[in-house]
Amino acid sequence: MDILCCPVCKSDLELKIEREDGDEIVTGDLFCPKCDHAFKIEDGIPNLLPPDFK
Amino acid sequence: MKDDEVKKAVKEGYAKIAKKSCSCCGPAVDACGTPRGSQVSKGIGYTDEELKAIPEDADMGLGCGNPVALSSLREGETVLDLGSGGGIDCFLAAGRVGEKGKVIGVDMTAEMVERARENAKRGGFENVEFRLGDIEDVPADDGSVDVIISNCVINLSPDKGKVFKEAFRVLRPGGRMFVSDIVLLKELPEAVRADMAAYVGCLSGAVLREDYIGLIEQAGFQDVRIRTESGCSMEVLSNDPTVSAMMSNFNLSREEAEEAIGSVISVIVEGTRPA
Repeated sequence: MDILCCPVCKSDLELKIEREDGDEIVTGDLFCPKCDHAFKIEDGIPNLLPPDFK
Repeated sequence: MKDDEVKKAVKEGYAKIAKKSCSCCGPAVDACGTPRGSQVSKGIGYTDEELKAIPEDADMGLGCGNPVALSSLREGETVLDLGSGGGIDCFLAAGRVGEKGKVIGVDMTAEMVERARENAKRGGFENVEFRLGDIEDVPADDGSVDVIISNCVINLSPDKGKVFKEAFRVLRPGGRMFVSDIVLLKELPEAVRADMAAYVGCLSGAVLREDYIGLIEQAGFQDVRIRTESGCSMEVLSNDPTVSAMMSNFNLSREEAEEAIGSVISVIVEGTRPA
């Protein structure tokens, strides 16, 4: 988490945890305030693909 | 070929490979026309001992060298793998950096990241994380990584210069990069260059060796040097299915097909971000 950043503007991300399993965040959001975009964490995998990535 | 079409084809191609349960499958046309799986991995620099230390499913035979073996990783270092696939190189790196170190794998194919994550769980690797990301827009902070590794992936990126700039950005000053990849000694015939399946198979996206080195230097890396270099073996060259496939797929003469295959080599390149 300490080295994660927004793939687009490289700003720090704000973590919002929805569901945890031990140490692992299973579901949640990584929010970039500058881009106003929430990157999803699903099944323990953060999706940090740029929002326009197809 | 348009960049976004290339990325889509690469993503779909590798999603299909990731979904297959065996480790013996690869793109229809791969760079050296060789079989995939652990046999391949042994042939490109992984030892039996290394292959035993990782979850079997992590070795998909999709690499073209063993960058970790050359990377002189130290305990406690943070490693970033660009295009981590099934996770083989991440798991090897994890053993070297130990509990105090950390390995992060980035891959743009969800199916690959899921597979790698399952492998990490199965193998009990607690110092390895995988995330979905584009190696042209790396989701890691500036100067946050000690060592970048990548294995047979950057050739698949339409904007290789951007990948190297991103690698440079996330490395700490003094950090090192070890990249195994396919490069060319000579341009491929136009028919091969225009073929999407050959692009997905790590062939058409490859650039000339000197151009590849140039892109790394332009990104700011110093002491850029080729550590190992190997061509497709004569065995492959005389391997008739490969030559015949090249001839029929791309409408080439035998000489043209052999010349094309002979111009494809794999290299491991090292570079350093100046301290």
